[in-house]
Amino acid sequence: MNCGYGEKLILYFYGELAGELKAGVERHLETCAACRGELAALEAAQGWLKASAAEPPAAAVAAVLAQARAAGGAAVFGFRTWGEALLAGALTALLAVGFSLPGRGTSPGLAWNSGLDSGLDSVEYSIDKAQADMAVAQSDWDDSYGLLEAESAQEV
Amino acid sequence: MLTDQELVAAFKGGDAEALGALMERHKAAVYGYLLRLTGRPDAADDIFQEVWLKLVRRPGAYGEREKFSAWLFTVARNAAMDHFRREGSRSALFSQEGVAAPADDDAAPGPLETAVSPEPGPHETLENKALGEKISAALERLSPEQREVFYLRHYSELSFKEIAELLGLPIGTVLARMSRAAALLRKELEKKPQ
Repeated sequence: MNCGYGEKLILYFYGELAGELKAGVERHLETCAACRGELAALEAAQGWLKASAAEPPAAAVAAVLAQARAAGGAAVFGFRTWGEALLAGALTALLAVGFSLPGRGTSPGLAWNSGLDSGLDSVEYSIDKAQADMAVAQSDWDDSYGLLEAESAQEV
Repeated sequence: MLTDQELVAAFKGGDAEALGALMERHKAAVYGYLLRLTGRPDAADDIFQEVWLKLVRRPGAYGEREKFSAWLFTVARNAAMDHFRREGSRSALFSQEGVAAPADDDAAPGPLETAVSPEPGPHETLENKALGEKISAALERLSPEQREVFYLRHYSELSFKEIAELLGLPIGTVLARMSRAAALLRKELEKKPQ
């Protein structure tokens, strides 16, 4: 096919053309039998794939879901690992400490824009640090898990 | 209806049933793709589980800014390739030698234009069965690279731009493969029975 519409025809068939480009292909199709033949072939192949679609075995889906539930069941108050739970506890403690810090030169009338702001900066820093620590711990855990999986695979 | 990203977030938050909803949404496409890639139901089953278990074991592996189906099909493709490397064998995808694209010859209308009916009646069943066999054989005649793009586009429903990103190829290359595949399919399907 030398009409030069090969790639545009593909985009047209899969609905990825709009406006003038789409209209241009439609005009071209009126006169190009080769392009019409390719569209028909794509449609036939797509129809056949749809008609012969296969579902995964129910056992394969169930096995994945069973592991997901087991992982969810192992969660500690919504956390996937004890490490995450402990780090979250540490974060909460840091928050509590941050909020209990006395504001410098705080007067009741200025509480929301002076000493409390300063305390919140400290809390924000603590949160950032705890989040970074949590990410590092999670990464370490993932690495350890990967190593265990690899060792287990070798043993098998 | 929750989006894929919302379901993954729920799953990450400890809701195991959110994974069930995600699987319900994508399982047929992923499994169909793997079945076509491998040509073997047992291998497709194993890889299918491996793909989803990756999300179960490392939910953080999916960055929520990415389109979930793009991530899912990237994992599926990589897992299939790993499987073939482990087995030291070539997949169904790569089992056939590719054939050259058809010559740019006949511009006359082919029989296919009138042979394919979107809603066939009972009398057309046998014809369609024969056509199905012909289509299956024609798909086998595509080169591995053409088949890969063709199956990815069909099952993942990702755009060609997304498929190009997934495969790490320029979009022009992806479209050229699809265009050659379409030309070859036409040629194969319009062949007269011998």
